[in-house]
Amino acid sequence: MPTVANPEDIAKQFGLESVPESVKRLNQLLTKCDATDTDDFAKLVNQDAELTKRLLRAANPRAECEEDYGITTVEDAIQRCGMSAALLLAMSEPLIKAVQKSFSTMLNLELKNVLPQTLDPFNFVHVIGEVSFSGKATGLVQYRLPAEFIPVLGDRLLGLSAEDMQDEATANDVIGELCNMTVGNFKSNLCDAGLTCKLSPPKISRTEEFQLNVVEGGTSQRYGFHSKEARLYADLSVNPFSES
Amino acid sequence: MKILSVDDSKTIRMIVKRTFAPFDCTVLEACNGEEGLATALAEKPDLIVLDITMPVMDGVTMLGKLKENPEIKSIPVIMLTAESGRENVAYIAKLGVRDYLVKPFKDDQLIEKVKRVIALQPKAEAVAA
Repeated sequence: MPTVANPEDIAKQFGLESVPESVKRLNQLLTKCDATDTDDFAKLVNQDAELTKRLLRAANPRAECEEDYGITTVEDAIQRCGMSAALLLAMSEPLIKAVQKSFSTMLNLELKNVLPQTLDPFNFVHVIGEVSFSGKATGLVQYRLPAEFIPVLGDRLLGLSAEDMQDEATANDVIGELCNMTVGNFKSNLCDAGLTCKLSPPKISRTEEFQLNVVEGGTSQRYGFHSKEARLYADLSVNPFSES
Repeated sequence: MKILSVDDSKTIRMIVKRTFAPFDCTVLEACNGEEGLATALAEKPDLIVLDITMPVMDGVTMLGKLKENPEIKSIPVIMLTAESGRENVAYIAKLGVRDYLVKPFKDDQLIEKVKRVIALQPKAEAVAA
């Protein structure tokens, strides 16, 4: 048992990965959210090339390429999108990493993150695995998986047959646990960034609806993933000021 | 050897069972903290692999109650959870756990952590094969 009191040292003793840079950046951004002046917030965003790229893309939703952007500075993009949206985008990297790590570690599947509009939408009944969180931040993460991918999950995770995975309880447990791992990791990142929150148990449903859900007072973002075996989506909706 | 897996996910309990199938040990299962405590008292396992977020009684509450009970407080516990927030990990460490493994995880990582705590032996037939 560790004898040191520093949380980071304890985590190291257990061999836990260090807190990612993207999470430290999110923490810094949150400390600048109260200011009426957005300059400090914008400066921090500017230090993160990936976040800057995401924010400018969000501020220019109709542009097909960067050359078409009408809004070209972070400051203007924050004015257009708002701080909440910028914070949501700052959460993108932790969520994308959590999705990729869950699939890579548990299923040996390397997922590539792509813009959702580059994938065909699910205009058919598909499976939603959902976990919500509440506390200083409120939100939800939804996996959208095509039904034909469910037997692949069972096989890769547990060596189960397609017949085994026809049992809805078994299929739901597998999907639920995958959601739990992903959102548990993401939620831990939020906690480390200062947004302490708790998770709800996973909920699994089947739907034809492909609409992006938004939690009260929040903003949403969809992420696309694909590999040779599958394509799937992860939807994130967050209100980072739910306790304010 | 007896290992108790306490997790509300059947999937995780199946993975733990599969992971230790090549070893000379029995994997017991409980799907929440309350069941976990009852099984720990009845079976006195050599090790508990414990999740945090569970219905009825969560893993942190179970750990606290385990440590208060002289009959079972010395059973080593390894946390197996998606929770890796630093403040929570520090709190759990103070309650007294031998190790901590964050989901998602590879079978080998779990075996390595468990081997540091109990002397796992391969099953006789596995050795003969």
